[in-house]
Amino acid sequence: MWDGIIIGGGLAGLIAGIRASERGKHVLIISEGAGSLTYSSGALNFGDVVQLRSRENHPYALIEENVIQAGMDYFQKLFPDYQGVCGRTQTLFTPLGSPRTANIIPSGQNAAVLQDAKRIVLMAPEGMKDFFSKIIKTNLKICYPQCIVDIYPFRISAFEAWHAIGKPVTGMEYARYWQSGPGIAELKRVLAGVTITCSETVVLFPGLATAFSEPLKEVLSETPFPVIEMTSFPPSAGGHNLYNALKQKFKSLGGELLMGTGVQRIELQEKECRKAIVSSKGRPTAFAAHSFILATGGILGGGIEVTAEAAQETLLGLPLYVPAEWTKSEFLGEQPYAHTGIEADSDLRPVDPGTKEVLFENLRVAGRMLAHWDPWTDNCGGGVSLTSGWYAGEKL
Amino acid sequence: MKESKVVIIGGGATGVGILRDLSMRGISALLLEQGDLAHGTSSRFHGLLHSGARYAVKDPGSAAECIDENLILKQIAPHCISDTGGWFVQTRDDSPEYVEQWTKACANAHIPISEISPSEACRKEPLMSKDVLRVFEVPDATVDGFKIVWANAKSAKRYGGQFKTYHQAKRLIMENNRVVGVSTKNLLTGEEFMVSCDIVVNASGAWASHVTGSIGIPLDVICDKGTLLAFNQRLFQRVINRLRPSGDGDIFVPHETITILGTTSEFVDSPEENDPQEEEVNKLLEIGRHVLPGIMKNRVIRAFSGIRPLHREDHDVPGVNKEEGRNVSRSFALIDHELQDGIQGLISIVGGKFTTYRLMAEKVSDRVAEKLGSMTPCRTATEDLLPVIPEHLHKKAAQLLPYAPVEKMLERLQEDAESVLTEIQRDPRKGQMLCECEMVSAAEVEKAASDEDTHHLADIRRKTRLGMGTCQGAFCTYRALPLLWDKKEKYDALQDELRNFLNQRWKGIRPVLWGQQLRETELTRAIYASILQVREN
Ligand SMILES: Cc1cc2nc3c(=O)[nH]c(=O)nc-3n(C[C@H](O)[C@H](O)[C@H](O)COP(=O)(O)OP(=O)(O)OC[C@H]3O[C@@H](n4cnc5c(N)ncnc54)[C@H](O)[C@@H]3O)c2cc1C
Ligand SMILES: Cc1cc2nc3c(=O)[nH]c(=O)nc-3n(C[C@H](O)[C@H](O)[C@H](O)COP(=O)(O)OP(=O)(O)OC[C@H]3O[C@@H](n4cnc5c(N)ncnc54)[C@H](O)[C@@H]3O)c2cc1C
Repeated sequence: MWDGIIIGGGLAGLIAGIRASERGKHVLIISEGAGSLTYSSGALNFGDVVQLRSRENHPYALIEENVIQAGMDYFQKLFPDYQGVCGRTQTLFTPLGSPRTANIIPSGQNAAVLQDAKRIVLMAPEGMKDFFSKIIKTNLKICYPQCIVDIYPFRISAFEAWHAIGKPVTGMEYARYWQSGPGIAELKRVLAGVTITCSETVVLFPGLATAFSEPLKEVLSETPFPVIEMTSFPPSAGGHNLYNALKQKFKSLGGELLMGTGVQRIELQEKECRKAIVSSKGRPTAFAAHSFILATGGILGGGIEVTAEAAQETLLGLPLYVPAEWTKSEFLGEQPYAHTGIEADSDLRPVDPGTKEVLFENLRVAGRMLAHWDPWTDNCGGGVSLTSGWYAGEKL
Repeated sequence: MKESKVVIIGGGATGVGILRDLSMRGISALLLEQGDLAHGTSSRFHGLLHSGARYAVKDPGSAAECIDENLILKQIAPHCISDTGGWFVQTRDDSPEYVEQWTKACANAHIPISEISPSEACRKEPLMSKDVLRVFEVPDATVDGFKIVWANAKSAKRYGGQFKTYHQAKRLIMENNRVVGVSTKNLLTGEEFMVSCDIVVNASGAWASHVTGSIGIPLDVICDKGTLLAFNQRLFQRVINRLRPSGDGDIFVPHETITILGTTSEFVDSPEENDPQEEEVNKLLEIGRHVLPGIMKNRVIRAFSGIRPLHREDHDVPGVNKEEGRNVSRSFALIDHELQDGIQGLISIVGGKFTTYRLMAEKVSDRVAEKLGSMTPCRTATEDLLPVIPEHLHKKAAQLLPYAPVEKMLERLQEDAESVLTEIQRDPRKGQMLCECEMVSAAEVEKAASDEDTHHLADIRRKTRLGMGTCQGAFCTYRALPLLWDKKEKYDALQDELRNFLNQRWKGIRPVLWGQQLRETELTRAIYASILQVREN
């Protein structure tokens, strides 16, 4: 018998698992896939917390403001390689070299030093997929008019065979190489080749993710100029690294992770969840627990399935909030469908959208499964998953 | 400016067909198109090369035209046509009397049909309903609208014909009851100028009455909107029609790796009213279920609507009632405004079908030739549309690219393949597939992006099929950015190009937003809104 079973090992599920394990709970995470963190850049946005809390149903409004702060602090204590302050944003770069902001970012991505720079050197690894140096250079010139921008093309022997046949090297592959023993030496060599023509030189590096790697951070601390990592087009090393770090943390605290199989159904008894049923090699296996957390990632994660006729929560058939109007005309503007999800009480337990009655006493809902928010227009994708996950783990 | 004897308004199948025909006869012609080629109905249809069987009962004239043209196009444009064959299937809901009537009518129109047993049919098309009563094979085929339109334009160009895209005919210019030119606006630069000519051909499809309206001549064109669904898979190997009087949602047309289902019919007030609606989608799914019982399990990747320009020649055609689009004849009308309205130098061509575009072009060109005193006869029924692709190009392509994309590329590019292949040879990286769903190489997209008649990301999409596959452009659109960038004087700012492109695709996705398509949409929104920080204005 487990203290808690968490269904879904994305950002929300893993944070919940880490917090609960740390509190001494015996926790199992069952996850079908890796979740959306692996597509993301690893930066986390919280959005305008005060304004979002004033929206009646927003997930932030379910929990106290200090819980949001606590979740954020907790994350940074877990991962000192990440930095951020609630209510303040940091600047980092999109893969196209335009600045963007987020609340918590890997320190290596922080672009603040550019404010005082006079020269930017854009590293241009040979044959790197989805990396467009000319576009980046122009965007940099627009945003940092005081700077000279130089492109610094380089190639390394490890990928020569790829270049010869025209095979592109993804940012992930470059990032993985830099983390290897030979990669570290090579990185030193490459950076040593950058000449400093003025003292306020800053180097911008795509396909490099130093968070969680001591040797890489050391290499960068020894360069005579600051090096800023760029985020990349998915899949990205930044998101992968964070995902791996979360998994490792969870395991190091004694948590158990069952990956690659989905929970097929939950055995119920009155208003309680009893067992999660997983099918392994064609045979159903049951895992029993005192409480459960549902962090199955909404539409993208697979926790919500939509057909031409209806939207359904896939595991328990929990009632969903489904907006009357489904879409609006501007693709990247507000989209009502994104608000589809489970309504919850202040303890994150699922409630009936009509009667607001709590449906299961020992089940909590976290992350993208919650109703009434849109990560892209509210700008709080990571924030909601992180804080609701943390709170669910705290309460488990 | 005096550029040519004839100005053609409209770059759909009909317009480019006329441009080619006239150019082959040595008559100088300039075509004006307000969007990109095939911007109108010619890219918003089933892509069915009719055998005529569908019209055999109701409109025998049309049926006969279709079967003739069907055979001609299979001869002259095999690379644009896939000779899949087609079936007419009678379900339990379809009347047996109609079946009898239909088989007779096909015989009268010389459309060869042959019956096959339902059990054999179910074996050949396992996804089809097992409840079909009778199945007849007909020589239907499928046609790639973009390809054939471009093939006509390129062929015309080889004969000296000219076309200008993103050029809108604003007004016809008249002198003493004679049309002498067209006041034209370049929509990209805003520049307005006058093109003079001896004859204007109005081939603007559903817009035809707008064109003649500019000089106060009424033209009775009804806008009949039809909505279609594109499924993510090739569900059938051949065209499947319901054997009943034409109705909504009863034709499935397979193209490469997708299938199109259509169509609905509803009169609308303007050709611009072409947003597919959810109700139309639901109606199609409901009706399509009779032939494809598992319809709900299949992913719909987009919905789109086209406008049939129906010409109501005959004022006592019954039913101006909004539901009766299908009862207006689909045969075309050639209107010589000299005879009809006493205005010289203006011919309108309205109605018809994609299948009969060549015939329509021939009739118009005959009339134009007669007026200009040209004796050269029409050759479009016999001369191949595609130039022969030299053997050395096939060989070169096969060496440089993976097997699957090679022939497709050669057919799309024709003589331009040479330069693309040379570029790949020079820089093998450009042989990488930029669009992995539709197998389009970086070099080909680069070529399309730099073509002088390409002005937007959407034009590249139409030419290369970039972004038409299952990822719906989430990945390949991003990958096309540096190619736009290299030609940035031609394009809007990247943010604007991206936003416009995404919003155009969104129009077709909105009414079919469920299942895997919805998941894909969530990812696309995440990538563009979050990773790339593209914002609505
Ligand atoms: C491309 C992209 C870019 C992003 N960029 C940013 C950004 O810049 N800033 C920001 O703040 N946020 C960003 N996000 C958003 C943020 O990453 C997500 O909001 C967050 O990761 C969602 O976490 P989650 O745990 O709620 O869901 P998910 O990560 O989707 O996790 C759900 C998990 O549940 C599993 N699952 C589903 N059903 C079952 C089942 N039946 N049994 C077992 N497991 C199951 C899934 O496999 C998945 O692993 C981005 C997201 C994407 C996709
Ligand atoms: C839903 C649907 C399904 C169909 N399915 C089939 C089928 O399967 N098989 C078949 O054979 N037929 C089919 N048809 C019919 C066929 O698509 C049309 O008959 C054919 O495409 C019409 O071609 P067009 O060149 O006459 O018109 P269009 O393709 O509409 O071309 C007219 C062009 O004129 C341009 N234009 C308009 N005004 C101006 C101006 N002022 N200046 C410059 N340019 C202008 C427009 O932008 C447009 O590109 C279908 C039609 C619909 C609506």
